[in-house]
Amino acid sequence: MMREHGTLIVWPSLLAAGLLAAACTDQPNVNMAPKRPSFWFTPPPAQCVTGKWTGGGRIDPTGNRAASNYDNVDEPAGGQPAAPDPAPYMTGKVTFGFNVFLGQDANGNCIVTKGEIEVNGHALKLAWHVSIHDGVDAYDGRPVYANEFSDGHRGGVCVVVGIPDMTARVNPGQGREGVQFEVCDNDRGGRQNTRSDAMRWRTAGHGDTGMTYLTGGNIVEHGS
Amino acid sequence: MNGKTMHWVNRLAVLGLVVGLVAGLAAAGSAQSVGGQAYSTYVNTPLGSSSQSPLAVLPAVSGTDGAEADAEGSALNVAGALSSDFLNSVTSGEIGSAEAGAQSTSSAASVNILNGLITADEVVANVMSSAGQSGAFSNADGSTFTNLTVAGVPVTSGDAAVAPNTQQSLPGVGYVVLNEQIPTGDGVTSSGLTVNMIHVYLQSMTGGTVDPLTGQVIGGIPTTTGEIIVGSATSSVGP
Repeated sequence: MMREHGTLIVWPSLLAAGLLAAACTDQPNVNMAPKRPSFWFTPPPAQCVTGKWTGGGRIDPTGNRAASNYDNVDEPAGGQPAAPDPAPYMTGKVTFGFNVFLGQDANGNCIVTKGEIEVNGHALKLAWHVSIHDGVDAYDGRPVYANEFSDGHRGGVCVVVGIPDMTARVNPGQGREGVQFEVCDNDRGGRQNTRSDAMRWRTAGHGDTGMTYLTGGNIVEHGS
Repeated sequence: MNGKTMHWVNRLAVLGLVVGLVAGLAAAGSAQSVGGQAYSTYVNTPLGSSSQSPLAVLPAVSGTDGAEADAEGSALNVAGALSSDFLNSVTSGEIGSAEAGAQSTSSAASVNILNGLITADEVVANVMSSAGQSGAFSNADGSTFTNLTVAGVPVTSGDAAVAPNTQQSLPGVGYVVLNEQIPTGDGVTSSGLTVNMIHVYLQSMTGGTVDPLTGQVIGGIPTTTGEIIVGSATSSVGP
C-alpha cells in the first residue's frame, strides 16, 4: 500500500515535469511549404512561423553535386531552382555572418523587418553586404521578402531571404548586385554540429554557390 | 518496508524531481550571454604598429535576440612588418530559449610577414561557441592556411589546417605559433575560444653576456618586444 501511495505521488509529478519541460523547449511549428517554381522570379507566400535567424561561418562550394559537402537534400526543399542559377557555380572559400528578423507586411507577406548579411567570396575577392532597416533594403529602397520551410532533414528548417531578390553592396568599388541568401538549420535544439547546417548564396553576376554544408560555424533559428 | 522508509522515498523522489527540473530548465534556458570578436591583422613592433583591423565586435545581445557585426579592409601595409589584402571580419551571436551561440570569422589574403619570413596566400580563422541542453562547447572548424610557408619551408600545400598551437622557432627573431587556440569556460554552462592563425612573438635576449669568442649572447632571458597577429577570431557563451 505504501509503495502504491509513493508511486501515486511520483508519477503525477513526473507528468507535470514532462509537460513543463515540453513547454520550455524551442520547437516552432513550421509549416511545410508547397513545391514552387524559382523564387528568383516568384513572389513569396506568407510563412513567417518563426522570427529570428542568426549565424555565420564558412562554406567551400565546389560545384560538384557528388562532393560530400553538397547539400542535395536541402537545395530543392523549398522549391528553389537547381544550382547553378544563375550560372556558373561560385566556388572556393566563402565566409559569412548574418542576423535577420522576420515579420509580415500589411498584406500578410513574409518580410525581413531588419537584418544584416555579410558574405565574402574569397576566390573572387569580393565582399557583399545587405542591410535592411524598417523592412526596407538600404541599397534599393525595396521591401525584402522571405520564406521559411521545413527541409529534407528531420527537424530541419530553412529560410530564403530576398525573394525574388534584394540588392547588396559589393566591395571593392561600392557596386550593387541582385542577390539571394538561403540558410538551413538542421540541428535545432540539439548539440550543434557545424557540418549539418547549410548555406547558399546566389548573385546576378557572379554565380551561385549551390546549397553547401558548412565547413565551420553555425546557423541558428532562435524563435520569435 | 515500513511507512517511515517510504516517507523518505517520497521525499527523495520529490527532491530529485525538483533538482532535475531546476537543472533541466537551466540547461534548456541555455546561456544568458554571448560574445564575439574578429580582426584580420594586428601589428605591434619596433618597425611599426597597426591596431586590430578591420575589427568587428559583437554588440550586446539580450532576451531571445541576435546581432551581427562586420568590417572590411582592402589592404594593410606596415613597412617591413606585414602586408596583406582582402581583409574581412564578421561576428554574430544569438540567444534562444533552447540554445545560444556565437560565431566569428576573419581572413587576410596575400600575407607577407617580416619581409617574406612568413607568407600565405590566405589565412582564415573561424570559431563557434554553443550552449544548450547538451552543454557548452566551442570549435575552430574551418580555420585554415592557404600555401603557408615559414622561413622558406612550405607548411601547407593548398588550403589546409595546421595542428592547434604549432610552435616554430624563428632564429634571431623569436617564434611563431600557428593556429594558436586559447579556450575559456567550464564546458558545462560556458565555453569560449580564441584562434590566432599566425601569432609572431618578437623576442630579444636581456641580461645575458656576450661570448668574446663567438659574439653570441650567453644566458639571459628572452623578452617579448613585439607581436604580429594575422587572422584572429573569438566566440563565447556564458551563463
